[in-house]
Amino acid sequence: MSRAQECAIVGGGLAGFCAYATLRLGGLAPAEIAVFGTDPDPAAQWRRRAAAIRQRRMRSESDGHCAPRSFPGLAVRAARRRRSPLPLVQSVFDLYHPTVEEFLAHVEELRMRSGWDDSFRRRTVKRIRAGDGGFELDGAAYPHVLVATGHPGLRLPDELAADRRAIHAYEPHEYAAEVEVVGAGMAAATEWVNALAAGSSVISVRRREPERRPLNLPRQFFTRRGLAAFHRSGPAARVDFLGRWSAPSYPRGRAWDEPVERARREGRFRIAAALNGAEQVICATGFKRGYREDALLAALVHDHALETAGTWIVLGSDSTVPALTDTERTLSVAGVSGQWAFPAADTLMGAKYAARGFLRRVQACRSR
Amino acid sequence: MSFTLRGRFESRLGAALAPLLAAFGLAAAITEWWPLALAGAMIGVGLLFDVAYDRWLDYQPGWAALPLALVELGAVMGVVYALGIAAPLDAAVAFFAGSWLFGQVLVHGVFPYTRLSYGEDGGELGRAGVALAVVVLAAFAFLGGVALAMQPPTVRLASGIHQGPLLLDHAQRLVGEPGAVVRGGIRITADNVTVRNVTVVGGDSGIEVDNARNVTLERVRISGAVLDGIHVRRSTVKIRDCLIHSPAGSYAQGIDISFGFDLAPSLVEGCTVIGGREGIVTHFAMARVADNRVVGTTLRALTLTEMSMAIVEGNHVEDSLGVGIYCGDYSECEIDDNSVRNIRPDQASGDKTRMGYGIVAHSGAAAVISGNDVSGVSASARAFLGARISAE
Repeated sequence: MSRAQECAIVGGGLAGFCAYATLRLGGLAPAEIAVFGTDPDPAAQWRRRAAAIRQRRMRSESDGHCAPRSFPGLAVRAARRRRSPLPLVQSVFDLYHPTVEEFLAHVEELRMRSGWDDSFRRRTVKRIRAGDGGFELDGAAYPHVLVATGHPGLRLPDELAADRRAIHAYEPHEYAAEVEVVGAGMAAATEWVNALAAGSSVISVRRREPERRPLNLPRQFFTRRGLAAFHRSGPAARVDFLGRWSAPSYPRGRAWDEPVERARREGRFRIAAALNGAEQVICATGFKRGYREDALLAALVHDHALETAGTWIVLGSDSTVPALTDTERTLSVAGVSGQWAFPAADTLMGAKYAARGFLRRVQACRSR
Repeated sequence: MSFTLRGRFESRLGAALAPLLAAFGLAAAITEWWPLALAGAMIGVGLLFDVAYDRWLDYQPGWAALPLALVELGAVMGVVYALGIAAPLDAAVAFFAGSWLFGQVLVHGVFPYTRLSYGEDGGELGRAGVALAVVVLAAFAFLGGVALAMQPPTVRLASGIHQGPLLLDHAQRLVGEPGAVVRGGIRITADNVTVRNVTVVGGDSGIEVDNARNVTLERVRISGAVLDGIHVRRSTVKIRDCLIHSPAGSYAQGIDISFGFDLAPSLVEGCTVIGGREGIVTHFAMARVADNRVVGTTLRALTLTEMSMAIVEGNHVEDSLGVGIYCGDYSECEIDDNSVRNIRPDQASGDKTRMGYGIVAHSGAAAVISGNDVSGVSASARAFLGARISAE
């Protein structure tokens, strides 16, 4: 295998972008990093989905950004730009949520500054093969590879797959006069509010009541405080934990509750356990889950007989694949597929967690 | 942020290094050890609180920093009081507030900026954190050891009556047990002497301080002195929370601080003086006279004279004859936020400057006044013989 560059990032979305920015801060030049993706805009996929559900504000807070350093966060940047301390005050009370525009502007600015486009190659990697001292990706060799292929696809309930009324929330759509929204997470809550604002009647179809919490997970699971116990737990406990916390949730707050409550009083919002034949069915049912749904990861597991548990690839606590990581090479998994190491891996914080672990490995190898 | 216990310890100790060094610098500058003791109390209380926070707070939102800091401040001041650390309240609060603000800047800005994984590591600083913690604890142990080694010896005065006069001619701390009484006065002629919790009865002066620096008199009670309750000459003193009752002589004064203009300022704070010719008087001295209560004097309650420079604030003066607060003889006085009540005219003296005035400036003195509450007087403020009174 001829060695091409130091690092490869497979996946050109936000998780890959966070990893790229972290590697750049860690001293790697754009020429030392190859990024494989389908769209040079790292926010392209996310932008489409956010636009589809008409998302205006991020669920994440000030530190929900792609820059490798958590400070200054988006609240500090907003305060500086608006010449107002309000974002900082909001941040102190955990009430600051950047707008989608602010977040996208930040991504664009970081993209320009980081040299991302110099490293980006529009190519789909179909297979990763481990070799001596590295990995072969479609013909070229890299000692360090981070896989951030993102969500494997939108999930539609089987019974609605062939139903012409059904559309996924993350696909562009308008609202019919009567809308059934399947699901009870953040996207579903956003769709309730959107459809009600458009004048529709909404039926929330859900099997269980949603959790109400500010972030995907309780905050201690974003730091070592909660992660230490998670990392100590055995495979069965981890599978149970990840299953339990994957239940739908969305934040508390009047912005969510008031429109729904008002519509309920007007008879325009109700909850049902099953579909009832409405004109439009919006599936806010998230994404397909598990490595088997991702062709690249499924092949990786198959080719190298990697250890798995449930639908997850078993990872080290730094998001690396233990069987394919040693003193000379690193294989890391970032994004939603990295939940074995970081339960909130599908967040920006999770992306950076994997990125920092990857950088540590790369630096340890380079310094020898 | 969701701190780990180690993260809390390392962040706190990392943030404590600069305040600790500042405390050492301050201690060296003012030749007192209370800044170091205060810094130590802050660190100790903080680490104890961290254990409690770790138990109860899975996540600490930003807004919680302020109420938690106020609770910690209360605990620190409790420790300061319990251990008898001679830290002035305002200085202690200011030091705590400054250290806290500095810590906030580090925890929310500098540490996350310099250490990529600071947040996800729960405030841990890695090897640097361990090193910082070791440095802070070692520095504190070293500086504390130096401080301890340089502390004057403590002499416990047992409960009961001790026949004086006592002569304190070397550095020491004389601390009275409850009920310790010295009959016949105490004379201090050495630097770095502290007298605390002692009752003095009789003597020419209750406590006489002569040519000594850095003398602290705390919670002393003096009665029956023939001349002055506390008599200070060419010395620097801090007198806090004293009680001086009815000096016996016709010319006796409660506290007299004189002839130390070229020395560091003296302080009289939180004392109560009852009776005597003048309650608190300075001659040719620099002093701050604050938050005292002076009642029943027969000449003037507070006197700053003979080119003294003095700040007089927050005092309560009541039921005195002639003059409440007097700034005389080319002295410069800042007189703020005092309350002066019921100053009777001294008709018998025939002195027109003593006709029951709240504040008097006399003989070329300059007094700047503001926020004083004066009642029961012939006039609130009067200036005589080229003196000036101006409002701030």
